[in-house]
Amino acid sequence: MRAIASLLILLVGASTVLAQRRFDERAIKATYLFNFAQFVDWPPASFADDHAPLVIGVLGDDPFGRVLDDVVAGEAIKGRPLSVVRFHRIEDVRACQILFIASASAPQFAAVFEALHQRPILTVGDAADFATAGGMVRFVTDQNRVRLQINLPATRAAGVVVSSRLLRAADVLGAGEVP
Amino acid sequence: MFRHGSFTRKLMAVILLTSGVVLLLTCGTFLVYDFVSFRSALARNLSTLARVVAANSTAALAFDNRDDAAEVLSAFAAEPHIVAAALYDARGELFATYPAGSSVSFPASPGVGHAFGRNELVLYEAVSTNGRTLGTLYLQSDLGALYERYRLYGGTGVAVLVMSFLVAIGLSIRLQRHISQPVLALARTADVVSREHDYSVRAERFSDDELGRLTDAFNGMLAHVQEQDRSLREQAEQLRREVAERARAEDEVRVLNADLERRVAERTEALKVANTELESFSYSVSHDLRAPLRHVLGFVEMLQEELRDSLTERASRYMNTIRSAGVEMGQLIDDLLAFSRMGRTEMQHRDVSLDELIGETIERIETSAKGRQIVWEVSPLPAVVADRAMLRQVFANLLDNAVKYTRGKDPARITVGCLGMEHDRLVIFVRDNGAGFEMRYAQKLFGVFQRLHRSEEFEGTGIGLATVQRIIVRHGGRVWAEAAVGQGACFYVTLLAARVPEMTV
Repeated sequence: MRAIASLLILLVGASTVLAQRRFDERAIKATYLFNFAQFVDWPPASFADDHAPLVIGVLGDDPFGRVLDDVVAGEAIKGRPLSVVRFHRIEDVRACQILFIASASAPQFAAVFEALHQRPILTVGDAADFATAGGMVRFVTDQNRVRLQINLPATRAAGVVVSSRLLRAADVLGAGEVP
Repeated sequence: MFRHGSFTRKLMAVILLTSGVVLLLTCGTFLVYDFVSFRSALARNLSTLARVVAANSTAALAFDNRDDAAEVLSAFAAEPHIVAAALYDARGELFATYPAGSSVSFPASPGVGHAFGRNELVLYEAVSTNGRTLGTLYLQSDLGALYERYRLYGGTGVAVLVMSFLVAIGLSIRLQRHISQPVLALARTADVVSREHDYSVRAERFSDDELGRLTDAFNGMLAHVQEQDRSLREQAEQLRREVAERARAEDEVRVLNADLERRVAERTEALKVANTELESFSYSVSHDLRAPLRHVLGFVEMLQEELRDSLTERASRYMNTIRSAGVEMGQLIDDLLAFSRMGRTEMQHRDVSLDELIGETIERIETSAKGRQIVWEVSPLPAVVADRAMLRQVFANLLDNAVKYTRGKDPARITVGCLGMEHDRLVIFVRDNGAGFEMRYAQKLFGVFQRLHRSEEFEGTGIGLATVQRIIVRHGGRVWAEAAVGQGACFYVTLLAARVPEMTV
């Protein structure tokens, strides 16, 4: 167990070291996607059973490639293994917990969010108007750093509970609104 | 401290020392225990704080938000003891620090656990979520709290010590009174007894414990001593009275003695004077009588010569009677003179051979007593110490007497010998078988002019034995006689033996 933990630290460390040396936006975003799994709670109904995997979905053109698969490989959060599933169209989106929506899908945001309405899926994107358009978490790249912008009302509407600790580390939109 | 000083002070010192040591040990133990527990509590509190902060900084680390991390750390501003804090990321590189922009130097890489330094407590807390380690929180707390506690406890301890000490002093003063009071009372009483020899004092009894019994025993001893002292004093007083009485009696005796001696001396002196006067009187009388007597005798002789042819026979007989009476009177006067001389002349003591002296005397008597049949029995005699001339007189008188009073005996038997010693003196006797005398007159024999026979029967002046007694008494001896009428007499004299007497008994 200890050995596994050490190995994990080594792996994560290795990947982040890589990210730090050359600012690798893709790798950071992939890691963040994985990290969301640790700071977000989903309603139990969103899983098929107690051992069902936590699924990270990528909609549209996948910017990560193997990087995301490498990040989640062998990882488990709260007893659930992680898996990455890629979708081409919104209609293809099945049960998943985190969904990265590529910027290429920007013109279709309204339709996408309409389709995902009320489903407990944490939507993540990096388009400039992603959060304001109804997305939940937006990657903001600023001076070689990737920061987060969270649309709190959207998460609440979807029944996804974002940890206050994550909120602390992010710019929160609509914090004062009551759902 | 324990050698000198009063009992009270020692007792106090013991109580205070004991309570002080107990207090110090108690305080010390408590302080040490508290410091140890407080240190671990301090570490535990810091660890709790670190865990909270670490939990709050997981997202900041996970999403590389240094601003948020710094903000999380800035919460330590509310905890003044936190001197420095830092977050390291999963690679061990410094991620965020507190206080912002300080010059505090942080460890280059994170460690594990906690450690107490000289002035700080350093703690590392892993930042992890869901079993994944995201980084490490570093906290450095100064030990102000600890030192503050040290000061507080030290102050409290000192205050407690001082107060306990004061209470102990107060208590010991009150409590030790129960112990020291009887002992001090005993000491005071003993002091009075030894200083003033007053055995009537008694120590006060305060309690029923060993000290009370000690006091009782001491008082009992005092009573005993007092009784003995009183009896001793009485005996001494009685002794003193007796001694005084005896001294007074002795004084009286001494006064009486002195009076007696004085009176004896006075009498003796008077007697001496009287004696001397008497002797000088008798001497001068005897002396003065001789001259007229010589005239009487001379003229009687001349008268006889002148009237030789014309005197009748009767007249001639008268003249002869006058002459013989005159001769007798002359003899009497000579004897008196000799007697009186014996009492006056100086004595010259020397060793005298009795054998020689008696031999000469017998020789002289033999020539004058021709025609007498006398048997002399003389034993060898020792030498004596005496005046030779006087001693010659003694034996001349005694032997003359013996010859005289044995006139009618034929043969006359005269014995001279030594009977032995009476104390340091020889007893010499002269015995004859002559007329003797009645023993009741034995004491009268030695008086002057005392005669037991008529002068017609035995001639004599009656002075001889008086002279013998006088001489022997002057030599310190005594003289006595034993006799029976018709059976002879025996005269005894005691004389001082010469230095080496030839004892022949």
